[in-house]
Parts: sequence; C-alpha cells; structure tokens
Amino acid sequence: MSVAQSDAELAKDALGGSEAAYRELVTRYATPAVNFIHRFTRDRALAEDLAQEGFLRVYQRLKTYDAERKFSSWFFQVLRNITIDYLRVNRLPTSSLDALEEEGHRAAVIDRESASPEQAAEQSELAVVMSAALAKIRPEYREVVVLRYQEGLTQPEIAEILGMPSGTVKTYLHRARKELAEILSESGWNTNV
Amino acid sequence: MSRTIRDRNMDRKQLEQWLAEEASGRDEAADAACAHLFTALPKVDPNPAFVEQAVTAALRWRTRRRRLVACAWAATILLVAVGVALVFLGAPRIATSVIKGFAFVSGRAVPWLLAYTTVAMSWWLTLGHVGGVIASALITPGRVVAVVGVELFGLLAFYALQRIAGAERLGDAQV
Repeated sequence: MSVAQSDAELAKDALGGSEAAYRELVTRYATPAVNFIHRFTRDRALAEDLAQEGFLRVYQRLKTYDAERKFSSWFFQVLRNITIDYLRVNRLPTSSLDALEEEGHRAAVIDRESASPEQAAEQSELAVVMSAALAKIRPEYREVVVLRYQEGLTQPEIAEILGMPSGTVKTYLHRARKELAEILSESGWNTNV
Repeated sequence: MSRTIRDRNMDRKQLEQWLAEEASGRDEAADAACAHLFTALPKVDPNPAFVEQAVTAALRWRTRRRRLVACAWAATILLVAVGVALVFLGAPRIATSVIKGFAFVSGRAVPWLLAYTTVAMSWWLTLGHVGGVIASALITPGRVVAVVGVELFGLLAFYALQRIAGAERLGDAQV
C-alpha cells in the first residue's frame, strides 16, 4: 500500500475489503476524532468510546461515501452526529460542567501564581485556560472553533459538515473568537493590550 | 531555563499575540494567530490499543454481516426449493383446492358486493340531489352580491387591523 494514498482511495480500498487500508484510515484519524469529541464531552474515556463507535459507523457506511467529497468532512459529520446523539440522550449535568470550568480556572490561577515547572509539566497552562474558555462559549461556536482551529478545516468544509452557509460559519468564527478573547481578557490574560 | 518554562512563555506570547490581533480588529490576522495558538495546545492521545480495537470491531462486524447474508441466502434458497417441491408434488391437489376456494368466495362475495355498491350509489345520488336543491335555493344574484360584499368588507377590516398593528410595532421599536 502506497504511503501517499489519499483518504478517498483508502476508503475505496477499505470498502473493497482491505484491512490495511481501513487500519491506515483509523491511524490517520484516531487523534483528531478523540480530540474533537473530547472538546464536547470533556471525558477522555467517553471520547474514545464515541470515537470507536464513529469509526465503526464509518466502516458500516463506506458504501454511502461519495469520493467527490472530502473524506474528513464526511468523517467529522458522522462523528458530530454520534456526539450530538449521545449528548442528547445522556445530558451531562450542568453542575458538573460548571465544576469542570471552575476547576480549569482554578488550576490556571494556581499555575500562573506558582509557576512551578512540575505543575506546568503536569498540565499545560494554556490548555487549561483555553479549555475553560471554550467550555464557556455557545456550543455552536465551540463546534466551529474546534473544527477550524483544532482540526484545521476550511470554512466551506465546516459549512458542509454543519449544514450551514459559509457566511454563517465565518460569522460564528468571528463571534466565537471575540467571546474567547473577552473571557481570557476578563481572566487577566490580556497584559499587552 | 527548563523546556517547560520556555514552552509556557511561548504559549503566553502566542496567546497575547492573538489577543492583540483580535483587539486591533484585523480579522484575517486574528484568524491566523488563533490557528497558530491552537497548534500549541496539547492533543489528547488515544490509548495505544485504540487503532487495533477499532479495526477488530470493524472486522467483527464484517464477519457477522457476511454470516447473516449467507444465512439469509441459505434460508431463501431453502424456502424456494421447498416451495417448488411442494408445488411440483402437490400441484393437482393444490390446483383443485384453489379453484374450489375461489369459486366459493366469489360465489358469495360478488352478490354482496353488488348489493352494497347499489345502496352506496343510491345514497350518493340522493345526496347530490339534496345538494343541488340547496345550492339552487341559495344562489340568487342578490345573495351572491351580499356574500361577496361581506367578504370584501371583512378583508378590508383585516387589512386595516394589520396596518394598525404594524404601526404600533414600529412605534414600539422606535421607542
């Protein structure tokens, strides 16, 4: 199997029964999948379980994949549906989500004040702060931010995944960044401006 | 300086750069800075067995599906074979029974069907007749003019109400 095979070619081969092609697809998308879901569930084990379900569903529906489309768009659409379905059925209690946010902010403050290398090594300060800020913005904004900045998708690709006009994605991104910036500024991070 | 502290300083620098771009209102620069910032965020790595588990689950599903499809084919072939055998062996008896059954049912059903259809037709004609009488009694030139007039008046009143309500909403908005 060629290293330079595209996702669409791998999907085609996997549909034809190639285990190696499917394995390569899973290898390529395992980390993005888990990270994408983790942003919404904030539970690593659950994110892995849902990602596993996502990969299985993708395998089951490879026949419906249109090679004209970008594989990543189709893949994230499947993941998104699985995550939304899960969150709808098993609503995470608001209190626990708030608690996580509080925990995130507290950790960031402790980290900044103490500046202990050991603590910093345990958990990236930036990751904690951004995670807490992301948890505070509207879910539809969070979704767009994660797809754009974490997964590196383009605005048209995000529009395709979310089923909304590209202009709306652009607006959401702009508003989401503004909200994130405000949250971080209020937390005392905007020292230069 | 340890690597961790240097990384922390870089993180802070990237974050502050993005916030500065955001504050300046340069959308594209802010977009790029934000993207750059996210690349610095640590990723959640799935457990090492993740890929193997996903592949195993897919292969298990494929095996189950193949078995299911094979069983379905086998059952279909078996059913067809049994059906063909039954028809071949019992054709004379089955044919006789089918013809007898059909004659029995049709012999009783057809008169009933005819009787009900006749009754339904007569009801339908009666209703049509009554409707015609009522319509001819109601529709006179004077009454048609009255009905149309009332409808026009109602439409005008509705339009006026809409205008008044719209003006009120606009007034609220301006306040």
